[in-house]
Amino acid sequence: MAKAREIEGLDPQASYAEAAVLIVSVRAAELAEHAENVLDTTDIEGVHDMRVASRRLRAALEIFEPCFPQTDFRATLAAVKELADSLGGRRDRDVTLAALDAFAARAAAPDRPGIASLAKRTRDEQAKANQDLAPCVEPEALEALGRRIELLVRAARA
Amino acid sequence: MKARPVKKLDPTRSLAENAARIVGVRLGELRSLAPQALKPEKRTAQHDMRIAAKRLRYILEATETCFGEEAPAARRRARDLQDILGELHDCDVMLPRVHEHIARLHAEDVEATCEVATGAPDLDPRVAVAAPNRTHYRGLEVLTVYFEARRKVLHRRFREFWAEQERKGTWDRLERAAKATLRDTRARRRALEAGVD
Repeated sequence: MAKAREIEGLDPQASYAEAAVLIVSVRAAELAEHAENVLDTTDIEGVHDMRVASRRLRAALEIFEPCFPQTDFRATLAAVKELADSLGGRRDRDVTLAALDAFAARAAAPDRPGIASLAKRTRDEQAKANQDLAPCVEPEALEALGRRIELLVRAARA
Repeated sequence: MKARPVKKLDPTRSLAENAARIVGVRLGELRSLAPQALKPEKRTAQHDMRIAAKRLRYILEATETCFGEEAPAARRRARDLQDILGELHDCDVMLPRVHEHIARLHAEDVEATCEVATGAPDLDPRVAVAAPNRTHYRGLEVLTVYFEARRKVLHRRFREFWAEQERKGTWDRLERAAKATLRDTRARRRALEAGVD
């Protein structure tokens, strides 16, 4: 799992609102950095890292909620949550498949057909979850989310 | 599990003062869930505790510089706790999936077996032997045994981990650090408000 980026220049005595600008901006940048190759099901760490980044961003938004205008905050949080849920739908299948593959590799031969049948069904679900995720991680969608977060951060500065 | 609201958060006050309040509440949430979560059958409490560990970890990742040397260790232990409870949760996700898959295969086989026997007054056992999924059940049942056993092992590891952190005072030290930060930042703020340099 990708380590959280340290927040450089963070001053414990700075105002809560000033800290909100810095921390939410860093967490939003982390999310954008983890967007590449997320739809590649042969490398499941991409989706995992982006999902963790979306959770950290969501956590930062919730921590600093009092610093933001409520209407803008709720809409932005909902957008981040929608992305996190789509990433989670894919990730859940990735985890299940990894567990089934690991088990099957060590299972006796007569035990493998049953595990393979569940793995096949899970792969079909993984493909569907990937289709559902695709529009959420298109560059245009992520740029729109980035702009929304930037506006929110500017409102905290004001 | 909805996060407990944190009172008296103020955008004009310092990060440290606000963060100390949040850490106090999140740590309290985490510890309050332990008595139930430590019972093996309390899956909801274990799931809630995983979420609480995640919330504590994320607030510490962002603000641990406000709390001195105790916070990084507590953050790492919150991460470890989240990992153990995460693996427990994976078992809880897997088991119903396997049971549901077995039920689905079973229903398919019943249907297929009935189709073969259409028109017959009774069912010849030889027809059931040709059920399309007949070779699948053994491996899936072994899989459920594995994940139920794994769950027990992981829950024992969770109990041992929690007991060790209580023994080492990990959460007590973080609580003291958060209280000290809150006390100091409040005193500093009141001094500034009173015009004292």
